[in-house]
Amino acid sequence: MIWRDLLSISTGNLWRLKLRSFLTISGVVIAIAAFVAMLSFGAGNQQLITEQFNELGLFTTMQVYPPRDKDKADSVREAVLDDDALEVLSRVPGVDLVYPFNSFKVTAGLEDTTLEIEAQALPAAALETRLFSQLKAGSFFSHDSAHQVMVTEDITDTLGLSADSIIGRQIILSVQAASIDSGLAYILKGERERMEGRLKEIRFDSLIHDAYRRRVFYGEMNEAFKYFLEGYMNHRNLISDTFTVCGVLEKMSRRRRIQIRPVIIPAFAARHFSVSGFGDNPADLFNALKNGTFFVPSGDSISRSYPQVTLNLNPHVPYETVSDSVEALGFRTFSFAAQFKEISRFFFYFDMFLGIIGLIALITASLGIVNTMVMSIIERKREIGLLKSLGADERDIRILFLFESGVIGALGATTGIIFGWLITRLASLVARTIMVRQGLDEMELFALPGWLVLTAFLFGLTVSLIAGFYPASRAARVDPVEALRNE
Amino acid sequence: MKTVDLCRYYRRGPSEVRAVDRVNIEIAKGEFLGLVGSSGSGKSTLLNLLAGLDSPTSGSIEVEGVSLTSFTRRELAAYRANKVGMIFQAFNLLPHRTARGNVELALYFNQTSPPERRRQAIEMLEQLGLGDRLDHHPADLSGGEQQRVAIARALVKNPEILFADEPTGNLDHDNSKQITDLLARLNRQGLTVIMVTHNRELARSYTNRLVRMHYGRVIEETTDPLIPGGDT
Ligand SMILES: Nc1ncnc2c1ncn2[C@@H]1O[C@H](COP(=O)(O)OP(=O)(O)O)[C@@H](O)[C@H]1O
Ligand SMILES: [Mg+2]
Repeated sequence: MIWRDLLSISTGNLWRLKLRSFLTISGVVIAIAAFVAMLSFGAGNQQLITEQFNELGLFTTMQVYPPRDKDKADSVREAVLDDDALEVLSRVPGVDLVYPFNSFKVTAGLEDTTLEIEAQALPAAALETRLFSQLKAGSFFSHDSAHQVMVTEDITDTLGLSADSIIGRQIILSVQAASIDSGLAYILKGERERMEGRLKEIRFDSLIHDAYRRRVFYGEMNEAFKYFLEGYMNHRNLISDTFTVCGVLEKMSRRRRIQIRPVIIPAFAARHFSVSGFGDNPADLFNALKNGTFFVPSGDSISRSYPQVTLNLNPHVPYETVSDSVEALGFRTFSFAAQFKEISRFFFYFDMFLGIIGLIALITASLGIVNTMVMSIIERKREIGLLKSLGADERDIRILFLFESGVIGALGATTGIIFGWLITRLASLVARTIMVRQGLDEMELFALPGWLVLTAFLFGLTVSLIAGFYPASRAARVDPVEALRNE
Repeated sequence: MKTVDLCRYYRRGPSEVRAVDRVNIEIAKGEFLGLVGSSGSGKSTLLNLLAGLDSPTSGSIEVEGVSLTSFTRRELAAYRANKVGMIFQAFNLLPHRTARGNVELALYFNQTSPPERRRQAIEMLEQLGLGDRLDHHPADLSGGEQQRVAIARALVKNPEILFADEPTGNLDHDNSKQITDLLARLNRQGLTVIMVTHNRELARSYTNRLVRMHYGRVIEETTDPLIPGGDT
């Protein structure tokens, strides 16, 4: 028998028993539509996340953190995320760019308005990476020591300005910077009266005793340090500088999984603030004291540590290589690429779960196919006998019936895919309407990639063929003599 | 074609039904053989065995020197597709196919192309006087016409031998005569015909030879159909 005959006989039979064929095919349609709609949701979400990750360059960035306290105990040399560490990190193979997350509080003055706000220093090169590329207006700053700043939409929103109108305006940033000078000045402040009182308390004759001498000495030192700290913390210098707003970045949305402060200052220009002293972070102060860099007078070599450093990675170097090298230096790392592996695994199980639900529906539908085909054999016994008398062998009959269940599967799967797609369009419309109404970003939650269409079709076809297998071999075994007997 | 000790037994509970029991007959090319006997005497069973639709319990059938029992299932199917035509008392036309569609069905299993199938089917039906009934469904045809469609279906593949199992059993006298006339005409054109019939009159007047079966055995053979047979 040729394919055309098989097709015309099987479709002819299905057409003849329209209602029954319709019901049987409907079972497959429902199962495949459910399968497609569910997996389309999984695929859509995965695609959404992949797109966002790509768009934000999250696959090519890695965050580096100092070791946790409990980790420190084990490591031989304590790893500090300071400028030296940045230097080392920039030489790790696969790292294109290194910049610290360096945030501090500033007072921003724009015309009559004053805002207490967080600022962040960034190298110009970092702005060109996709992580920061959502430019709303203006341009990035021209170089790292430019007297320009970028602001996010949070600022323009707060000030009630449009993104374009803030470009070119002057902004005065000031920082309350503690300095060694103010600390030292405070030790000596009112020194005279205090000295006299304290000198009276010291018993000089007892100074020959080691223990007493040590106690007095530490007592005095403690006293002096107390005054120094008081001066250092409370009597800070006000450092101010004027910048021109050169660009506006898009508002930090939930989609952006990276910290961006409302004001971004070029890396070198920002040093002007930090050079003058330490920020609010007491840890910086103690680190400096411990490392012996506290009293180093030259501003440039002041060693401060950063809570977080961002690495821009060469996309051709696997992130594992970089994270291994960085972790070998004693730091902790976080990369979205690693995170994405987890997410992908989650989606794999998610898809499997949805697929199994679809499979169960399909198995139920396949029972319908078995039922239809077995009924059909009983009714068509005489026809089968006749075909055999005309020269059909068992194989011909088997193929004929398998073809029929294959046609049921193919029709059901095709219609099911179309219905599944329609369901996702409807669900997507509803979901997007809700998102818009709730003021969220409109997102497409469903996707129908080629592999899903193909899988659904093959799934429907295969299960139908398997369902047709038993009826087909039963049909093939029909005894023509008995089938053709007069009764 | 000849049979050697051909047996076909059916097991029915503890007993055995010898539907065909040690039959030895020889059928010559171009013969018109009549097969008579009471109901249940094994006529249909013998016919099905000869047509390659059933397999013997023992014994053999030789066709042109080759034993049918040595055939594989596929070869047997090919034998049915190419060498053998069959017609039945109940016509066995497929009700959802037209006359032409029914005739074409016989060419599905011998590698005939669809346009050729169509041409041959139309030609065959026209030869049998059904040129104006091509697109009629069996339900719209008279019994005689239906049997003629069945004959067209059996003959369209140009078989060497035609097996007719009580072809007139469902027909009235005139139609029976017409059909038997047709078979006799085809026989004169060279077709070997083996016809089971209850109608002794028909059997006598048309066939060259009459074989009578009784409980699975051939009990009487005569080359002169005018010699009276037993009761039927
Ligand atoms: N499948 C079967 N199982 C059991 N007995 C059968 C079967 N087919 C035929 N027979 C028996 O074989 C005998 C011959 O039947 P058959 O060849 O149809 O007779 P006829 O055609 O001469 O009327 C009958 O007794 C019948 O009951
Ligand atoms: Mg019979």
